[in-house]
Amino acid sequence: MAHPYHLVNILTGTKGAAEMKDAKPLAKIITKSARPLLVVGPRTLSFQLNEKLLIEYVIEIAKVGNIPICATAHTNKKFLELGVTPDTTYDVIEITNHLKDPEWKGVRGEGNHDLVVFVGFRTDLGNQALSTLKHYAPHLNTMTLCKFYYPNATFSLPNFRKDEEWKALLEGIIEGLK
Amino acid sequence: MEGKRKREKIEKIIRAEDEWEPIGHTPMPHVTDLRNWDRRLLQTYKPFYAPFCDLCCLCTYGKCDLTGTNRGACGIDISSQQARIVTLACCMGMSAHAGHAAHIIDYLIEKHGEDYPIDLGDQVNVECPNIRTVLGLKPETLGDLRKAIEYCSEQLVHIVSSTHTGQEGDPVDYESKALHISMLDHVSMEAADVAQIVGFKFPTSVADTPIVDMGWGAVDKSKPVILVVGHNPACSTEVIDYLRKEGLEDKVEVCGICCTALETTRYSDKAKIVGPLSRQLFFLRTGIADVIVSDEQCIRTDLTDEASKVGSVVIASSDKACRGLEEVSDRPTDEVVKEMVDNGKHFLILDHVKAAEVAVKAVLQLAPKRKKELIDENKAKELAQSCKECNSCEQVCPNLLPLSSAIKKVAEGDFEEFRSCFERCIGCGKCEEACPQDVPIFKLMQAVASWDTWKCRVGRGPVMDTEIRKVGAPLVLGTIPGVVAFVGCSNFPEEIDELAEIVEEFARRKYIVVLTGCSAMVIGMRKDAEGKTLYEKYPPEFDAGCIVNIGSCVSNAHITGAAMKIANIFANLPLRANYEVIADYVLNRVGACGVAWGAMSQKAASIATGCNRLGIPVVLGPHSSKYRRLYLSRKEEDDWTVMDGRKKELVDTQEPSPEHLAYVVESKERAMVTIAKFCIRKNDTPQGRQIKLNHYIDLHKRLLGALPDDLPLFVRTERDIPMFFKKEVRQYLQEKGWEPKPVLSLPTFIGTYPTKVPLDAVIK
Repeated sequence: MAHPYHLVNILTGTKGAAEMKDAKPLAKIITKSARPLLVVGPRTLSFQLNEKLLIEYVIEIAKVGNIPICATAHTNKKFLELGVTPDTTYDVIEITNHLKDPEWKGVRGEGNHDLVVFVGFRTDLGNQALSTLKHYAPHLNTMTLCKFYYPNATFSLPNFRKDEEWKALLEGIIEGLK
Repeated sequence: MEGKRKREKIEKIIRAEDEWEPIGHTPMPHVTDLRNWDRRLLQTYKPFYAPFCDLCCLCTYGKCDLTGTNRGACGIDISSQQARIVTLACCMGMSAHAGHAAHIIDYLIEKHGEDYPIDLGDQVNVECPNIRTVLGLKPETLGDLRKAIEYCSEQLVHIVSSTHTGQEGDPVDYESKALHISMLDHVSMEAADVAQIVGFKFPTSVADTPIVDMGWGAVDKSKPVILVVGHNPACSTEVIDYLRKEGLEDKVEVCGICCTALETTRYSDKAKIVGPLSRQLFFLRTGIADVIVSDEQCIRTDLTDEASKVGSVVIASSDKACRGLEEVSDRPTDEVVKEMVDNGKHFLILDHVKAAEVAVKAVLQLAPKRKKELIDENKAKELAQSCKECNSCEQVCPNLLPLSSAIKKVAEGDFEEFRSCFERCIGCGKCEEACPQDVPIFKLMQAVASWDTWKCRVGRGPVMDTEIRKVGAPLVLGTIPGVVAFVGCSNFPEEIDELAEIVEEFARRKYIVVLTGCSAMVIGMRKDAEGKTLYEKYPPEFDAGCIVNIGSCVSNAHITGAAMKIANIFANLPLRANYEVIADYVLNRVGACGVAWGAMSQKAASIATGCNRLGIPVVLGPHSSKYRRLYLSRKEEDDWTVMDGRKKELVDTQEPSPEHLAYVVESKERAMVTIAKFCIRKNDTPQGRQIKLNHYIDLHKRLLGALPDDLPLFVRTERDIPMFFKKEVRQYLQEKGWEPKPVLSLPTFIGTYPTKVPLDAVIK
C-alpha cells in the first residue's frame, strides 16, 4: 500500500491488506498457522461456482486443513445438511468480540486462534468485523477468501472479475493444504 | 454540580410542590448524574468498536492515523474517537427531534396558547412517562412541553462541547454522554408527538385507527398531486385545512413519503402514504407529484434538482432545510404561484399558512400542464440496451446489488433479476450517477415496480394505560413472551418485505408487536394469498398476537414510554425523577426487544441508544455495523451477578439475559432467533420461561437446524424446559453437563454499584 510522504495527507488509514492473487502462499500461510479458524457467512449459501456452492469449497478447505468452523448467521443448517457439524455457531459479531481477547481459549478450547479466515459475508459487514480485528487484535492475522478485496484484512484476494479465477484459486488452496 | 440555586430552579420548573408522586433522586439530571448507572450497564455490556475510518480529521492537527495503538496529535485513541463520533451522531439525532419538537410546540403555542391543555383522552392518564421519569415534571400544557425541550437543549450544549478537541478522552465516558443525550432524545420525541396529538387532534386513546391506502400505485395521478416529504406535519396539516376550507379535498391528491406521510394520515385518512424513505428518489423521478412540500429530516438534499428534471416544483417550509431558495412569505400569493407555474421556480415559504395556499393554488394550475408518463417494459428494454456491463453501478451500490447483470438482462427482455434489485434498492441513486452510459436506472424501475395499492394503519400514539394494566402481569411473568418493537429507516439488507415476514412470525407467536416510522409502512407492502396486509390480518391492540402502528419517528417515545408505564402502572414504581429504578426494572424484568433492521440515520442511532440506557436491547441489521459501536457481553465468561431484591443478597445467576444491548446480525433467520432470545429476562416465572424457550428453540431448530449451543445458559431448573422439547432438551443438557441455576423473582442492579438509590426503592 503506497503512502504519501507526509502521512497527514492519507485518505483512509495506513494499514491495508496484502493483495494475494496466488493460492500457494495463501495455503502456506494457513498451513504455518498453529490454530486457524474459518468464520463462515451466509453468502456462502448463495455464491455458486459452476455446480458447487461456495460453502462446499469451504467444507473442503476445512477438511483438508483440519480447520475448525464457526458457522455464522443461518449457515449452520446447511452445514448439517451437508453432513458437517460446525465447531461453533457464534454469529460474526460475537466471534469477533471473542477473537479480540488474546486470552480467549478458542472454539476448541486450545487457545485463541492465530489466523482467522473470513468467507461469505456482505463486504460491508465483513470489512467492519475485520476492522475490529485490525485495530484490537494484533495477536492474530486475518485472511479473506471472497472474490472481493477487503482492505481491513491482513491478507485478501483481489477483486476478481471472473469467477473462474476465483474458483481456480480456491481449488489451488485446497490442493495446497493436502 | 448541583448547588442550592440550581436545585431551586429545578424545583420551580417541575413544580416540586405538586405531590403526585415523591421526587426521585435525579430530577432533570445533568450530564454526569446517571454516569454510575451507565458504567454499571457498560460493565456488563462493554462497548465493541468496529472503526469505520482509521482517521480523525476533526481539527487542523490532522488528519491523524489512529490505527491500532496510535494516538492522534491531541492524544486521542481509536476507541475514544469511535465513542466521540457515536456521541456526535446521537447529538445529531437528538437535536433533529428536539428541533422538531421546539418548532412544533412554538407553532402550536402560536395557534392555541401556552396554557393549551395536554389531554390524551380517557385511556391515557400517564401522558408523558419519559418526561415524568427524566425531568420529574408532569406536563399539563404546551408550555410545560416547551420546558422539557429547553432542558434538553441545555444538556445538548454540554454534550456537544465534550466532543471538542481536548475534552473527553475516555470511551466509556463518551458512551455515558451518548446514553444521556439519547435518553433525552426520547424526552424530545415525546414532547414533539404529544404536542402534535393535542395540537392537531391526532388519534389518541383508541387502538382501531383507520386503515389508509399506501403505495405509489395508490396515488391518483389524474388529479393534481401534492407530495409532502419529511417529518414535521405543521405545513402538511395546513395544506389539508386549506383544501377542506376550499372544498377541494376530493379534487387534489395529498400523499407523503417518510414520517410526514404517517403524520398527515393521522390528520386526514384521505391522505395517502407513498412509501418509506427508500422510495423517495424513485417516486420523485416518476414525476407524479406536481408540487412537493418539504419540511425537515431525511429529505433528499438534491430535491429541487430532481424536481426540476421532471417539471415538479418545490416549496421548502422548514428553517432547517432552506436549500438556497428565495424566501417569499411576504410576497403576494398569486405572484409566487405564477412564477412556480410559468417558470418552474422553487421557493422557501416559512409561513405555513401561506405555503399551504401557494401549494394548492400552484398544483391546480400546474397539474393540467404536465404529462405524467411512465415507461413500460418495452421502453425499459430499449433504454437498457446501452448498458456495457461495466459493473460501475454495482461498485457504488451501498446494498451491494448485482445491478450490472440485472440491467443487461432487462436489455434481453428478462426483468426478474432487476425486479429483485428494486425490491432491495435503498433508493440512493448512486448507481445512475456512476453509469458511464447514462442508463436511466431509476426510470427502468418504473417497469418492474408493483403498482398495487397496499394498506397501512394510521399511527395511534401512546399505548393506553388500560392496555398496560391488562398485559403488565403476563409480560413481567413471561407468559406473554415479549414486546418486539420494529423501528427505524428503510436501509434494509434484502427485500423490502422481509420485515413483514419477521413481524408476522412474532405476531403469530403471540408476542406484542409494535412499529414506527418507515418500518411501520413497509410491513403493509406485502399481501397474503387473499390480498390482505398484516394490518388487515392482525388486531391493533397492545396485546399478545397484535400488530400496532404507534406512529412516526417521534412516536418511538411511546415505546419506551410503554415500558416505563409497565413499571409504573403494573409494578407501582413511581416514575417521578426516578430514572435508575425504572431503567433497572425494564432491563431486568420487562421482556422487550427493539429491532432496527434498516437503521440509517443519526436519529436511529440516538433512538436505539436511548432504548439501551433504559435497558431495552436492540437488534440491528448489517448496515448498522457502520455505526461503529455495539454494546456486547461475552455470555460464557462474563459475571452475571445481580442483587436479589427480596433477600438483599448478591446472586451469581450465570444467566446472560438480556445477552447484549446493541447487536448486529446479518440475516433475517439469525434476527428472528436473536429477537426471541433477547426477550428472556431473569425474573421469568418457570411457566413464562418455558414459553420463551419454546419459541427460541423452535426458531433455532427451524432456521439454524439444531438446538441452540447456548441453551444450557437459559435453563435454570427442569421446570424451565418446554414440554414439547422436554426429552430432547433433557438429553442435550445432560451431554453439556448442565447444572441447575438460581431463580430470582426480583433481580436488580441496584446495590451492585455506587448509587444514591436505596435497594428498597425497587421493592413495591
